[in-house]
Amino acid sequence: MELRFKLNGEAVEADVEADTFLVDLIRLRGLTGTKEGCGVGVCGACTVVVDELPVSSCCYLALMADGAEVWTVEGLTRRDPALVDAFVEHEGMQCGICTPGQVVSAYTLAREHPGASEEEIRTYMSGNLCRCTGYVSITEAVQAYVSRG
Amino acid sequence: MADLRFVAPTTIADALGELGEEGAIAVGGGTSIGLLVKNRLVDASKLVYLGRVRELAGVHLDGEARVGATTTLRELSRSAVVADALPVLADAAGRIGNPRVRSLATAGGALVHGDPRQDLPPVLLALSAIAHLASASGTRSVPLSEFFLGFMETACAPDELVTSVSVPLDPSRRAHYIRYTPGSEDDYPTVGVAATVSVAPDGAVTAATLALGGVAEHALAVPEASQLVGGRPDAGAIRALGEVAAAAARPTDDQRGSSGYKRAMVEVMTRRAFEACLG
Repeated sequence: MELRFKLNGEAVEADVEADTFLVDLIRLRGLTGTKEGCGVGVCGACTVVVDELPVSSCCYLALMADGAEVWTVEGLTRRDPALVDAFVEHEGMQCGICTPGQVVSAYTLAREHPGASEEEIRTYMSGNLCRCTGYVSITEAVQAYVSRG
Repeated sequence: MADLRFVAPTTIADALGELGEEGAIAVGGGTSIGLLVKNRLVDASKLVYLGRVRELAGVHLDGEARVGATTTLRELSRSAVVADALPVLADAAGRIGNPRVRSLATAGGALVHGDPRQDLPPVLLALSAIAHLASASGTRSVPLSEFFLGFMETACAPDELVTSVSVPLDPSRRAHYIRYTPGSEDDYPTVGVAATVSVAPDGAVTAATLALGGVAEHALAVPEASQLVGGRPDAGAIRALGEVAAAAARPTDDQRGSSGYKRAMVEVMTRRAFEACLG
């Protein structure tokens, strides 16, 4: 079945099955920043933005994105390099598997709750699991990003 | 599944036409269906995506609150109308899952999925909500007290669609929902307890409802909540209702708690929910 959408600002046409998931479509196009972690929408490693809202691409039926604007970590960080700067400066990462999802969630958080408090950040980001950092450095990175001038 | 099809109708009439075909299933936000498809746990020939049907979206007030089936949890949690008329629903919707789930998961999906562990069913049950269904042969309305039939079984027939859920408005109603998640905050709750109390100006209780999630094969109403009606409930009356609720629950052991633990939590959380309503 044919699917047309915008991926990181560029028009894309793809031929997919009814049970193709967005994460696979994205990664097969070479955008491997988006990771499949748990595969059941819990860990957040596969987070992408569809029409300005965060979704778990691992269980998002690709055909639901027909006509939508999809942004991945690659496109968002190109659009807003301050996202990367905040995570680098605060070392908001360790092994890196969860990092693209953390970065994408930081992006949507900043738009939904500009200037979010630490508590709001921790609540919002609680759906993005990290098994390395203990979250302090990630929270600091997100705090820096959402409170930037 | 090469023989699985995906269609995205734009009107209720077209959606019902698609759902009339054998093997068709409706997809709201896809948060549950996506997982079921991925894990080959549904036997479907066609996915009927409802996200393009504008008539199914949004919340309206017209003597009652009418929540369109494809209203997302995010919209419920951020709607000024819902926050004002049904704050307990806004609060519950805003705590379910994580932002990615709330972007997509729908009110109608939460009902039709019939998962006994979800949060909206007990909340809407306690609010005396009514599901409005449509099929190619007509429409009907089913109170939620008659909607949940078993584990992931509801009154919604294969060719039917929940088009909206309506909640009677009652300015004197106070409602509270308590959920307990043993793992992370975005997990399914071990137990969810929703309570409402309507209070007359003189302080007498005119209506009381109670519904439980996670402790039976489907969300469970506890009609004995009406014991509170007529008086000004004291601690003893509330405690007694907690015991009734614990006896009504029929929990099973699972990874989120033993049946005994869940039963004990129903008693405690019922008490706390009514204390919050009356406090």
